[in-house]
Amino acid sequence: MRLRLKYSKIGTAAFLGHLEMLRLWQRALRRAGLPLAYSKGFNPHPRLAFGPALAVGVESLAEYLDVGLTEEVNPVATKNRLQAELPAGLKLLKVIPVPDGTRALTAVIDLAAYQASWYLPPAVELLQQRIEALLARELVVVSCPGRRGEKLKDIRPGIYKLSLTADNRLDMLLQSSAEGSVRPEQVIKALDWQEPDRIVRTGLFTRRGDVLLAPEEVI
Amino acid sequence: MQINDWQKLLKKVRKPGRYLGNEYNAIHKDWEDHHVRMVFVYPDLYEVGMSHLGLAILYGAVNEQPGMLMERSFAPGEDLEALLRENHIPLFSLESHRPLTDFDVLGITLQYEMSYTTVLNILDLAGIPLLAYQRRAGHPLVVGGGPAVANPEPLAPFFDCFLLGDGEEALPELLNLLASLKEQGTACERQEVLREIAALPGFYVPSLYRVNYQQDGTIAAVEPVVPGLPQRVKKRVVPDLNRAYFPTRPIVPYLEVIHDRIMLEVMRGCSHGCRFCQAGAIYRPVRERKRELLLRQAEELVRHTGHEEISLTSLSTADYSQVEELARTLADIYAGQGISISLPSLRVDAFSVRLAEAVQRVRKSTLTFAPEAGSQRLRNVINKGVNEEDIMTATGEAFRAGWQAIKLYFMLGLPTETEADLLGIVDLARDILRQGRELSDKKPTVTVSVSSFVPKAQTAFQWEPQDRLEVIKEKQQLIRSQLKGPGLRYNWHQPEVSFIEAVLSRGDRRLAPAIMAAWRRGARLEGWSENFHYGYWLEAFRETGIDPEFYAYRQRRDDEIFPWDHLDFGISKNFLQKERQRAFAGQLTEDCRRGRCSGCGVCPGLDVSLCLAEGGRD
Repeated sequence: MRLRLKYSKIGTAAFLGHLEMLRLWQRALRRAGLPLAYSKGFNPHPRLAFGPALAVGVESLAEYLDVGLTEEVNPVATKNRLQAELPAGLKLLKVIPVPDGTRALTAVIDLAAYQASWYLPPAVELLQQRIEALLARELVVVSCPGRRGEKLKDIRPGIYKLSLTADNRLDMLLQSSAEGSVRPEQVIKALDWQEPDRIVRTGLFTRRGDVLLAPEEVI
Repeated sequence: MQINDWQKLLKKVRKPGRYLGNEYNAIHKDWEDHHVRMVFVYPDLYEVGMSHLGLAILYGAVNEQPGMLMERSFAPGEDLEALLRENHIPLFSLESHRPLTDFDVLGITLQYEMSYTTVLNILDLAGIPLLAYQRRAGHPLVVGGGPAVANPEPLAPFFDCFLLGDGEEALPELLNLLASLKEQGTACERQEVLREIAALPGFYVPSLYRVNYQQDGTIAAVEPVVPGLPQRVKKRVVPDLNRAYFPTRPIVPYLEVIHDRIMLEVMRGCSHGCRFCQAGAIYRPVRERKRELLLRQAEELVRHTGHEEISLTSLSTADYSQVEELARTLADIYAGQGISISLPSLRVDAFSVRLAEAVQRVRKSTLTFAPEAGSQRLRNVINKGVNEEDIMTATGEAFRAGWQAIKLYFMLGLPTETEADLLGIVDLARDILRQGRELSDKKPTVTVSVSSFVPKAQTAFQWEPQDRLEVIKEKQQLIRSQLKGPGLRYNWHQPEVSFIEAVLSRGDRRLAPAIMAAWRRGARLEGWSENFHYGYWLEAFRETGIDPEFYAYRQRRDDEIFPWDHLDFGISKNFLQKERQRAFAGQLTEDCRRGRCSGCGVCPGLDVSLCLAEGGRD
């Protein structure tokens, strides 16, 4: 059996990197006494599959993790048991059984939504102009540090939506798939705007034409 | 610290997971409800400090007590240190993010000499006066513990007191005393407090002992300055580990730390009696835990941590009298849960290899042994009770079991060492490689890792000089030139580090200004080779007028009074002197758990005894 977990990662938990999260989940799952399925081989590991990695320092309301189990378990009881083993800042939102043959998270997720905010509200009109100007461009080239020096990359095709909310936060819908990802900090840099005090990933989605589906809806 | 400022700092540093303080099982006690507050300081990075069993034990033992709380603090990484200094933020505890000066007690563990400059750096970052006599009421009491307290004298001016020996009983006693002094309102009289502490068994207040020197710079006498204090301070021993506190809810770090596993302490102490080994001397007597208790602790530890590995921890786990039964039982119980069993230190014999093979499901590629010396003559001198046959059967067993990489630890510069002993290292490595090629179908490798001998306080070699730097380098060169060829690898330690260790490990109070001078030049986190700058130390010695060779290279007189003679770890100086003579005569001294009592003086002197789990292996 496979379980798909949806959880939020808020506050200082945002400072835990991907490897730290992997270790944390392995240990929490083991403490909760779940019948974990292990990989074969000399050094067996629990079968865990995460969605797209989250940058350190970014919070999230929609993280996903698939867990392989050897026996059927009750999702509701599991959610309660597992929540008790999680440190502050990690909250289980959903625990859903996933049928065999369901595609892996990394294979189905195309898009990620983020929201950036500033303690001091930004100059809204100027920011709005910058957003419109950026969306009007055909090319938005940013440099990213690669293994072999700086690399130039056009992020424009990966920007699906940029807009300001009523309370002056910046909503972004960006490509996040196996083919490539655009990071929210890259967009803010391209806007030539100051670093936000907070970035939250608000959702991960599969695109079906014009419709966006969350990973729990594509099971 | 304000939450916002805190998060801003975290955003700017590498590995912020080090500083969060809310790891699973971390204890957050209510500040106001607890009368005595202590912060445990490990003078190295989080990843090193969180691998230390002593921290886990004392953290649990103190926090278990009503009225007391203990939090943690570590040396910040260089990036955080720069930010703290730039923004004038004092070093804080991980749990409540309070400045260290808010605590009543700062407990610093002293695991190795190269952490001394980091100790000063931490006091400085915390805004605490470095010298104990400059501290006033309201400053935390700075307490040192750990193995380097075998001779804490070079640090004496920086510490208010030291705890000798096991801490799980003594530390709560100290905190209780401070609680009652606080209640009586006498805690503000720092001198009074120190006198009260000096009366507690196991606590040494260096400012209450005066050191007199002779013309030649050696010590004439160390004496208490107030009446009623003991001439010698005895170390504390937990007589029966079966009744001692042991933490079964240790903190589970977010980060991958150095020892990222359950540490199940099967015993304390080691009675092999290797003559260079300080740990073997100062942790006596051997005290084993009962197997049933260990199985119970393992079960709780697994349940409360979720770790995937249980390490059977001690100075020499293969000596635990029921090691085979314990390891196999644990392996059977936990195999189905993806949890492996590991043995951290292998004895050089076939039994240990077979045991490792039987229980270590997660196969590490390298098997490590420590013959320590290259010839039988020299192994007898150091009382390392193994012979060439033991070594070859152990490595043969390892190759047959499928290990292809063998690592051998040696010490260079041991007393009486000659070229023949060094060439013995080379011969042994080549013999093992040849054996590997015969027994293994893959390409075996043999790595020879050589460190330089540092004579240590409270050991049979405490009278001996260290080899001069140039001699050590020559010896290393000799081994390196001979150890060339496919399948042979060689690594060595910086001899300059060993020289500084030798100065500090048998130093006296006059070294304190040099430590301070080295720190002022920028020395810190020197356990990391990239941070060790020999030049800082040379300049520091020059500036403070100290001749480091006096401490490292001098053959000490038979009747010399040592800076640490007034610190009683149980092992008698007479016994050490006898052991030294036996070393030069090439005579072995038997392990007291197998043979007869060797008369080291620990059991009668400290009123304790050897404590073995029932039913030995032999």
